[in-house]
Amino acid sequence: MAKHQSPQELLPLTPPVFHILLALAEGERHGYGIMRDVAQQTDGALQLGPGTLYGCLKRMLAAGLVEESDERPDPALDDERRRYYRMTALGKRMVRAEAQRLAGAVTVAMARLAGESA
Amino acid sequence: MTSESYPMSGFCRLYSVLLYAYPAEFRRQYGRSMEQFLRDRCRDLARRPGGLALLRFAGQVMADWLRTTIRERAAVWFAGRKPAQRSSVTEWACTLLIYLFATTTLVQAYVVPTGSMEGNLLIGDHILVDRMVFADPGPLGRHILPYRQVERGDIVAFLYPEDIRQTFVKRIIGLPGDCIRLENGQVVRNGRRLVEPYVQHIASQPDPYRDNFPLAPEVFTTPRGRDMFQKHVRSGEVVVPPGMLFALGDNRDNSADSRYWGFVPREYVVGKPMLVYWSYDAPTAELEEWTLDHVIDVAEHFLTRTRWKRTFLVPRPQRAEEVGGAR
Repeated sequence: MAKHQSPQELLPLTPPVFHILLALAEGERHGYGIMRDVAQQTDGALQLGPGTLYGCLKRMLAAGLVEESDERPDPALDDERRRYYRMTALGKRMVRAEAQRLAGAVTVAMARLAGESA
Repeated sequence: MTSESYPMSGFCRLYSVLLYAYPAEFRRQYGRSMEQFLRDRCRDLARRPGGLALLRFAGQVMADWLRTTIRERAAVWFAGRKPAQRSSVTEWACTLLIYLFATTTLVQAYVVPTGSMEGNLLIGDHILVDRMVFADPGPLGRHILPYRQVERGDIVAFLYPEDIRQTFVKRIIGLPGDCIRLENGQVVRNGRRLVEPYVQHIASQPDPYRDNFPLAPEVFTTPRGRDMFQKHVRSGEVVVPPGMLFALGDNRDNSADSRYWGFVPREYVVGKPMLVYWSYDAPTAELEEWTLDHVIDVAEHFLTRTRWKRTFLVPRPQRAEEVGGAR
């Protein structure tokens, strides 16, 4: 499973992977925390189900985009121990590259569509 | 686990079972986290008013489950490495178990063995019966599950009251309290003549028992049929007692139905035919059991004797029209 992919092969990132990385940009989170942050980022448009979330995390761990930090309770929820995830250096590079790619696409889109509606 | 309302904890428990559909490795790694995820989400939703959000969430989770079990299994499959021998066997056993649970509780496959519903269901139609729709899930589940009462005009699969090893499919004509009689082959219900677009008449000769039920003297009935005649005929009409249903075949002149063997107890109702998934033109006896001859026959004639037009046909509900003044 853990093939060594070159960073370029991972691009473009799928929307769930991109948003999960963004959620981890501000610090480590547990699974449910990631899901809530992603929903917030996207205004509720992207609701990650448990299977999708942990499937993505599994692949991201294998690709080295994220790593597990430790298991501890979330004081805001209850005293059950939750697994926390954090972004790796490679993850940070990838999410930057993806954001740049998207920004480029947006610039092109703005330029080409500007004449239409205005 | 924190205190939660009943449907939520039930849903969480169901999800714990559904997790067995994932590959074992995945389940070991993330199963506990996923259960916790679900509990957290349920708790958050419970703080907000309205049961609709929970219902929508349940739908999302089921869709997510279906998609990702397939995806994770495919990932294991394509990883090239064979999973350990032991696990691959138990894995598929688990999947099979869940499949069996689904096919016995939610739907059931069934072959139409007789022509009594001819016109709508043919001999050799392989149908899926929706077992949920008429199964009372209790006061709480009634609001969540797609449950409804049996209505007049419903096509229903039920256990044959005289021999519950057999399943019959007929149309419900009378509910408890209804007065039923036939006049020249036409049903009169509560004094109103029914115009039934789905019925077919094929008989060349009149049969007073069959066509003017229950006026003519009984010729041949089963014990339950006799019981109906003795206790539930009032002024030339059958009165359907509480908890019972009166069912007739659409192929009205050639159908062994409530006229001959009495009422169908409500609790014998299995469900509603929802889909013809395969229709194969073969004699009744061969359809009942998969003998070697039948297997060879199907292998030889699968393409020609399958009624392709009927494959994936959904039986449509049809209602009778009532004419004539009420009493």
